[in-house]
Amino acid sequence: MFEPFTDVVPSFFGMLNQGPLTLTIFLHTVIILPMFWIYFSEKKRLNK
Amino acid sequence: MLTSIKTNKFEGSKTKELAMMYFRVAIILFGAQLLFGLVAAIQFLVPGFLFELLDFSVARTVHINALVVWMLYAMIGSVYFMLDDETEVEGVGIGLGKLAFWILTAAVTVVVLVYILVQVGAGTEASIWFINEGREYIEAPRWADIGIVVVVLVFYWNVFATYLKGKQTGIMTVMVADLLALAGLYMAGMFFTDNISMDQFWWWWVIHLWVEATWEVFVGTLAAFALIKIIGAKREIVEMWLWIEVLMLFGSGILGMGHHYFWIGTPEYWWEIGALFSALEPVPLVAMFVHVLYDWGKEQGIAKAAGKTGSVMNNGPAMAWIVTNAFGNFLGAGIWGFFHTLPQVNIYTHGTQFTAAHGHLAFFGAYATILIGMMYMGVQYAYGIERLRATFKSKMGIFLITFGVLGMGIALTIAGYEQVLVERAELGGGWNAFFAAQELPWYIQSMMWRAIMGVVTFVGFIYLVWDLLTIGAQAKKAQA
Amino acid sequence: MANENVSVWTSIPFWRRSAAWVTGFATILLIWLSFDTLGQISMNEDIKMNIDGKEVNKRVPGPTVINYKIGYAMSKERGHEVPTIGEKQPFFGKEWSQKEAADLLHLGKLTSQAKNCMNCHTLLGNGAYFAPDLTKAWLDPAWQNGGPLQGMTGKNTVEEAMAEFLQHPSQYPTHARMMPDLGITADEAKGLVAFLKHMSSIDTNGFPRNFSKTVEQFKAGGTNAH
Repeated sequence: MFEPFTDVVPSFFGMLNQGPLTLTIFLHTVIILPMFWIYFSEKKRLNK
Repeated sequence: MLTSIKTNKFEGSKTKELAMMYFRVAIILFGAQLLFGLVAAIQFLVPGFLFELLDFSVARTVHINALVVWMLYAMIGSVYFMLDDETEVEGVGIGLGKLAFWILTAAVTVVVLVYILVQVGAGTEASIWFINEGREYIEAPRWADIGIVVVVLVFYWNVFATYLKGKQTGIMTVMVADLLALAGLYMAGMFFTDNISMDQFWWWWVIHLWVEATWEVFVGTLAAFALIKIIGAKREIVEMWLWIEVLMLFGSGILGMGHHYFWIGTPEYWWEIGALFSALEPVPLVAMFVHVLYDWGKEQGIAKAAGKTGSVMNNGPAMAWIVTNAFGNFLGAGIWGFFHTLPQVNIYTHGTQFTAAHGHLAFFGAYATILIGMMYMGVQYAYGIERLRATFKSKMGIFLITFGVLGMGIALTIAGYEQVLVERAELGGGWNAFFAAQELPWYIQSMMWRAIMGVVTFVGFIYLVWDLLTIGAQAKKAQA
Repeated sequence: MANENVSVWTSIPFWRRSAAWVTGFATILLIWLSFDTLGQISMNEDIKMNIDGKEVNKRVPGPTVINYKIGYAMSKERGHEVPTIGEKQPFFGKEWSQKEAADLLHLGKLTSQAKNCMNCHTLLGNGAYFAPDLTKAWLDPAWQNGGPLQGMTGKNTVEEAMAEFLQHPSQYPTHARMMPDLGITADEAKGLVAFLKHMSSIDTNGFPRNFSKTVEQFKAGGTNAH
């Protein structure tokens, strides 16, 4: 599933790029996950 | 123009006076953009046209620079136009703002004259400082770059000081933050490097983060303001939409930068980032279109339920341009952008007429349209018109310009197909492959249509200017 | 008294906080990615390359790459064409020291901007679409020995043929759409050729695709010309 590294210079992002969409899924996830926290904290605030 | 959007002395707003000054120069530069575009279009068909007098490179430099500069002028004008309405105080330091306007206009004139008369320089630092920086869209020589930064600082101070002094609405908060990013990004294009990959890397920080991030948010802000003004949309709803748009535009647009880093020497991981993030870029553009139509329909419905007849719009031509913007942004920037944003396609389409097709449709659909709408709002204010109705000239203007640009976009797309398939896929690139594709009859036909549609656009432009010059006085007469 | 039915989705503060978070964090990610990329695309002063293995340690070789033969070949591992750096090859009849090569590239890059190349040609695919892409122009078969462009100038090497053309482009009409005379001097022309040779050695992830096909077709006798 994880292919050997083929790009010219090895790097953190280059490694993540070796799996199927792993890099982009990683980036989307770290952006979106904290929005759950924002959602629930806002919910709590509105409920008060 | 000088007699119509004229009324340089307003009863009330000094800030709006300044806005009008920017609008006036913007429309003149828009005309220059179209004229030099026509020259370049003819040179595709008649290669000897103005050869070694005003070569393609010169015509195109002026074509794209006039584009960027007229849009920046109209954008600054729009900000001044909304500034006192939103903050509910007169703009701070408008006298200084006027001085900055004259400095900027003098500088732009000198830069354009140097482009046309001097054209190129020797391979020295001096050429980059005084003649032409030779980097697409930001060709302005370094002295002018520094001048632009100073003028923009004055402008930003006007806006920011007014914002702090007056009411701080959601719309203005987004605007102030967006302008800071927009102005700051310009600095990324102000240095020289021997490394062409590094050069292009930072060049995109200016170009991409302008047109696919900060300018888009700017347009969202203008649309929000205009909807409140023109159809009386509810501020709470408009501002909520605006924050959602900011979230989606920046969420997709900032990392969407990756789609420019596929082939310039940058690592392969940008393929995945550029593809997936920029594929989301059309989503907020759909949202913006839905938002404009939904609000319009809703306000109309409320008015009807209240027993009122007629339209809720108080400015027909402005609303027409804003609806054209909402759809044009989605079509030109969204659809045409998505066409070639995936690396699997882009490896063939990169650097072909396909890009030119997208450029024409996107700059027009996303930016030109709403900025023209703002000019109509300016005319309405300048003449104190309660309800500005579209005239025959307004309709001819919007129809011919939209039809012309759409026609150019389609012609260039077809030329792009030819070029991509023949030059890139079939023949594998290179000097001979390039010219083999350029000589294909279908390619030449497309270029012919592009030139014809360019003329149509220009005729529409004449109607537009004529209308802007006369509609105000005409409506005022009718009102009295 | 808590109201469990209130909706967050219509709350302006929720969207404002989310917008601020997404914008801020996407910017941080872009900056992080940029640092990573800038490290990979900066030029080595001291060109580190494995000549025998035809590999480059960095994506953008140092200016002394002009002393080597450059190729463009399909890499099975990467699935696209990559530049190769071969044996030493004189450039304008000599080997350039690190300083000389850097100065020449500097002159070439400055000239490329001062002459506004990018508003007719594309460089790395960016620019105008009126004239051929220059990314791999150095490798274009038309400029090689036996190619029509080299033949037209009467020179014997790629660099001399290109330099001659750049100085007198309208004397060598290659097509009805001609390059104008931009007043390029002999030194500037050398610089520009160095700039083009350097650009052809940059790893562009396989762009322009199939360029090596052009080369093979040419070797087989086809020129694609009409």
